[in-house]
Formats: sequence, structure tokens, C-alpha cells
Amino acid sequence: MGSTDTSDSGITDRPVSDEPVGEDSSRGGVAREDVAARVGWRYTLSQIKQDPTALAGLAIIAFFGGIAIVAAIDFYFLDYWLANTFWVNPENDPNTIETLLPPVGFSNEFGVGTWDHPLGTDHRGRDMLVRLFYGTRVAMTVGFMATVIGLIGGTVTGAVSGYYGGWIDDVLMRAVETLYAIPFLVLVIAFMTAFGRDLTFAMVGVGIASIPTFARLIRSRVVSVREEDYVEAARAAGVRDSGIILRHVIPNSFAPVLVQATLQIGVAILIVAGLSFLGFGAQPPTPSWGQMLSQSRNYMLPNPWFSVWPGLAILVTVVGFNLFGDGLRDALDPRINN
Amino acid sequence: MGLARYTIRRLIQAVPVIVGIITITFFLTDAIPGDPVSIMLGPSPSAAQAEAIRAKYGLDQPLFIRYFNYLGDVSPIWLDTTARFPFVEPRFGVDLGRSIYYQVPVVQKIAERLPVTLLLLVSSFTFALLAAVPLGVISAKRRNKPVDHVSRVVALIGVSTPSFWIGLILIIVFAFHLDVLPATDLIMPYADPAEVEGAETWVDVLVISGEHLLLPTLSLGTLQMAAITRIERSAMLENLGQDYVKLARAYGVKERTILRKHAFRPAQLPVITIVGLNMTQALGGAVLTETVFSINGMGRLIITAIYNQDYPLVMGTTIFFGLMFVIGVIITDISYAYVDPRVSYGDQEA
Repeated sequence: MGSTDTSDSGITDRPVSDEPVGEDSSRGGVAREDVAARVGWRYTLSQIKQDPTALAGLAIIAFFGGIAIVAAIDFYFLDYWLANTFWVNPENDPNTIETLLPPVGFSNEFGVGTWDHPLGTDHRGRDMLVRLFYGTRVAMTVGFMATVIGLIGGTVTGAVSGYYGGWIDDVLMRAVETLYAIPFLVLVIAFMTAFGRDLTFAMVGVGIASIPTFARLIRSRVVSVREEDYVEAARAAGVRDSGIILRHVIPNSFAPVLVQATLQIGVAILIVAGLSFLGFGAQPPTPSWGQMLSQSRNYMLPNPWFSVWPGLAILVTVVGFNLFGDGLRDALDPRINN
Repeated sequence: MGLARYTIRRLIQAVPVIVGIITITFFLTDAIPGDPVSIMLGPSPSAAQAEAIRAKYGLDQPLFIRYFNYLGDVSPIWLDTTARFPFVEPRFGVDLGRSIYYQVPVVQKIAERLPVTLLLLVSSFTFALLAAVPLGVISAKRRNKPVDHVSRVVALIGVSTPSFWIGLILIIVFAFHLDVLPATDLIMPYADPAEVEGAETWVDVLVISGEHLLLPTLSLGTLQMAAITRIERSAMLENLGQDYVKLARAYGVKERTILRKHAFRPAQLPVITIVGLNMTQALGGAVLTETVFSINGMGRLIITAIYNQDYPLVMGTTIFFGLMFVIGVIITDISYAYVDPRVSYGDQEA
């Protein structure tokens, strides 16, 4: 990706390149592997494998991620064919009557919970479990996409700001501070009221609102990386600023950002749930956890379980991201390992 | 650099942030589809009526003129160019304008709603700090003991739970099933006893106010409590591993003293930071808590203002939030110097 940066500079970039250049670099390759054994991905992975809580987090993420993928394929490409064939339709089940049934083993004024609907039904008689299942798609995609948008925006802003300093830094950081000074939820709600209430705008809105978190983090890293010898060497070798930022500054600032991104997915899921609760995000009848909680407000007395299940789903998912994020931080930050 | 000079410098730095907030909110509210005048006057207002309202609120002017007019109105110092040539008179004072929907000054509406939200915020953060600081300290002191595990699990669940869901569950348990606490509304502790149902003296008002406050406080404060516990614990652990703590131990300094003097004090720096930054974000969280508990505070004020496209009110409240944020940052920075004498106001690296 950086070849154009150096080819026209007239000076070979071999001393500062991260990629193996050719056959003659075998000696350097060995040295690199040696280093990789201590600080690279493999080391991080081995650390995580020894950390039961991080593994538990990963298992939770994998579980809900798997559900989300199945649900997304069924929703986007198969038009609920899977749900209709093997289960019940999450949006509109023609076979049920409109009652609010409790989970198995409980009863309320509408009847007794049966194994047909193990977790009970919602106010329109739709199966709770199937709606929770398909609600996973909304939480996971929005959480993930919003974080990616925030990550990219924040990384670019923070890296440019920290690398150049001076008035560019001032302008960008004031802009970031401005975004930060408006409460997250208020900013996203204003954004969604202006441009649209559906899921896409929830992703973009939450993404933009999370730019400050990443921008500040990566800027502080870049400011210290900027002074490192290898950046100095690259600059002396005539590598362009964009090349230095992309190939040296950002990769060397990425560990804390990765940790933050993992935690941020959890935060984004919480915020999207809050947005859906207020009526912004996936619109009925598309199931989403926050929207289910919002609907349950009027039916908490006959069936409190209506409120309990979606909240539990959110809780467990976010716990997964927090556990894994914490584990990742411990693995990447040797100061804590003692 | 002295404290006064530092504060002034921070306030000057805040000016572009406030201008930025005004710019973002102004153009964002303008992009909201719909017409505030028709929302106010109902579906079919007479043309003359609508025109009059438009002229009154300056809505008949082009977007950019309105933008600069608004900047001029909220700027504390402004050169009045409408004064007769060649005189340009400076004008002083802030004018946040009038709410289109409520037809009252924005400042009045904020003053009406702010105490409710402030009460909620202060009680939530008080609860959070009172619970989190001891929990974090004990957790660090007894690392990997059962107490530590319990507190870590509590903190983990706390940061992972949606605050409004906690509110819903609290309502189900305490208001519906146990029927011991009220689920809606908030009563100010200084309210007139005559206007509060079931209260005869101010003591009754205080008790009733506390009862109403309890569930919203738990709902909004749990997340903060958990976040602070996590930070308190890791900061304490980091300090307990420092060389000066080892040295103090080697000298036979009592463990209590080490904990209090060498570990606890510096551990408060990150705690102060998180409290300072989270205050503004908690204002956003208050939107949800206020919705769950049907409390008429700032959060619901700004949401309804966005729905109604009430430009002046949206702008006014966001600017107000922005000011609170800036003040919060300044207070955070100043409290640093109290806790850690090494921090000086001119020091950029600190």
C-alpha cells in the first residue's frame, strides 16, 4: 500500500520497511520471528488462552456472533425462510393468538407457560425466544459497525492531529472536544431526527459520536510514537508523511485502540438499546432488544418476564465484550502482568 | 502559572468549543424535516398567522443570516451593527431566545427543569462514589480474595447493564410487587408541603422526596458506581506495586498508613477524571432514566424540543450542556492539583 510513497522519493525504503523485501532478507526474517514470539499476535493469543475470563468473554461473543450471523442471513437473503420452516416467524406469527404468555413454569391472567413458547410470548403473542434470537442481529451489527466507523474516523483524526501538531492539532482537537461536549445520546438523537430513524442512521450516528474516544486515545499514542527513532529514520529517508502515519505511526499505536474498540462495541450495544427504547433504531415489527424493552413497559405487571429477557440478553452480550476487552488489555499491557 | 490565569486560559479555549456546539446543533436542527411553526399552530394555520410567527422568531430569514444572528444573540459581547452609521455600539449580555413551542424564554424553561436533573445527578454520583470508593479499595487490598471476586463481578455486571433496564426491574420489584416505593415523578426536597400529596411538614416532604429519588438514583448511579469501582481498584493496585510503597513497607510503615497515604491519595486522580467526564455523559443517560420514571427534567426537555423542532430550546439546552462540560473539565483539572501536588497548571505533560 505504501509503495507509491517511497518509489518517487528516489531513496530506497528498505531500512524502514516492515515487510520482508526479498530473498536476501532471510536473516532479518529470523530476527523478526524472534521478536514476534514475544510481542506479536501469537504472544497475545497465548496470553489470552491462559486467561479463563477472557476465554469466557470470547465464548459469549462467539455465541451471540454466531446467532447474529444466522439471523442476518435469514433476514437479509432468505426473507425469514429459515424461521418460517424450522421455527416461527419473529415478526408476524399467524398461528398464535394475541396473548401475553409467561415462560414455562409460570402462570398469569392469560394462561400457563408451555414448551411451545419456553420464554413466553410478547404482547402480540409472538414467541419471545425467536424475537430475542433475531434481535441479536440488530445489536451485534450496529455495535460492530458503529465501532468500525468510530474507529476509522477517530484513528484518522487522532493520527493526523498528533503527527502534525500545531494548528492542525488545535483545530481537530477542538472539533473532537465539541463532539464530546454534547452528551452522546442527545447528539445521536438529534442526528437521527434530522436524517432518519432507522438502523443505518443509528450505526452512523453512534459511530460519529464515538469518534472522540478513539481520536483522543490514538492522538496521545501518536504524540509519543512520533518521537521514536524509527519514525525519525523514515523521515530522514524521505518517506512521505502519509506513508509514515499509515505504516509506522498507526500500527505502533494500535494495541490500546484495539482494547478500546472491543469495549466500545459493548458500549455501542448499550447505547443502541437505549435508542431503540426511545423509538430510534430498528422499527417495529423488526425485533430488537431495546424496542422489546420499550414495548414491555406497558405489560410489566401481567408479565414481568417480558422486561427481563431482553435486558438479560443485552447484559450477557455486553459482559462478553467487557470480559474479552479486559483480557486483551492484560495480554497487551505487560505492566499489569505481575 | 497561577490558578486564575489558568482558569481564564481554559475559558478562552472553551470559546471555539461552544461556537462549534452552536454550529453543529444549529445545522442539525435545521436539517430536521418538518416545520416548527406548523407543529405549534396545529395542522392548518392561516397564512397570516404563520407569517407573523415566522417574522417574530426570525424564521423568515435565510439560514446563514439566522445562524449569525443567533451567534450574535448568545455572544456575551457583540457589536450592534444596527446602530445608526457610523456608530457601532457594543452590546452586553446573553440572549438564548424564546422557546417556539412553550412560548417562554429558554432560560426560564432551563431554570424550571434543571433542578430536577441536578438533584438526580448529584444523588446518583453521591451514591456511586460512596459505594465505589470503599469497594475499589477493599478489592485492591484483598486482591484475588472472595471479596475482590464479588466486587469485580458486581462492577462488571454494573458496567454491562443498560441503566433503563435496571430502572424497569426496580419498578417491577419495588413499585409493583413489594409496593413500597413510588415509580414515577420526582419531588423536590424544598417543595411547599401544601402542594405535596400526603405531606404536612417539611420533614414529610423530605421523606417523600427521598422515596421518589431512591429508584432513579439506583438506576442512573449503578453504571457510574461500577465504572468508578473498576478504576479505583486498578489505580490502587498500580500504586501498591510502586517502589515507594515497597520502600515504605521496608521501613515498617503501618499498612493502614501506606494504604491511606501512599496508595489511596494518588489513586484518586483517575477517579476524578472519570467523574468529571462522566457528568456530561450522565446527562445523556438521564434522558433514559427520566423517561422510565416519567420525570420532567432536562433530558426529556431536550428530547421533546428535538421532536418539536424548537430551535431556540434545542440550541439553548445543548449550549448549556456544553458549558457544563467545559466547567466540569476545569473543575477536574483544578482538583488534580489538590490531590497531586506534582501537577502544576502550566505543565502540559501532567
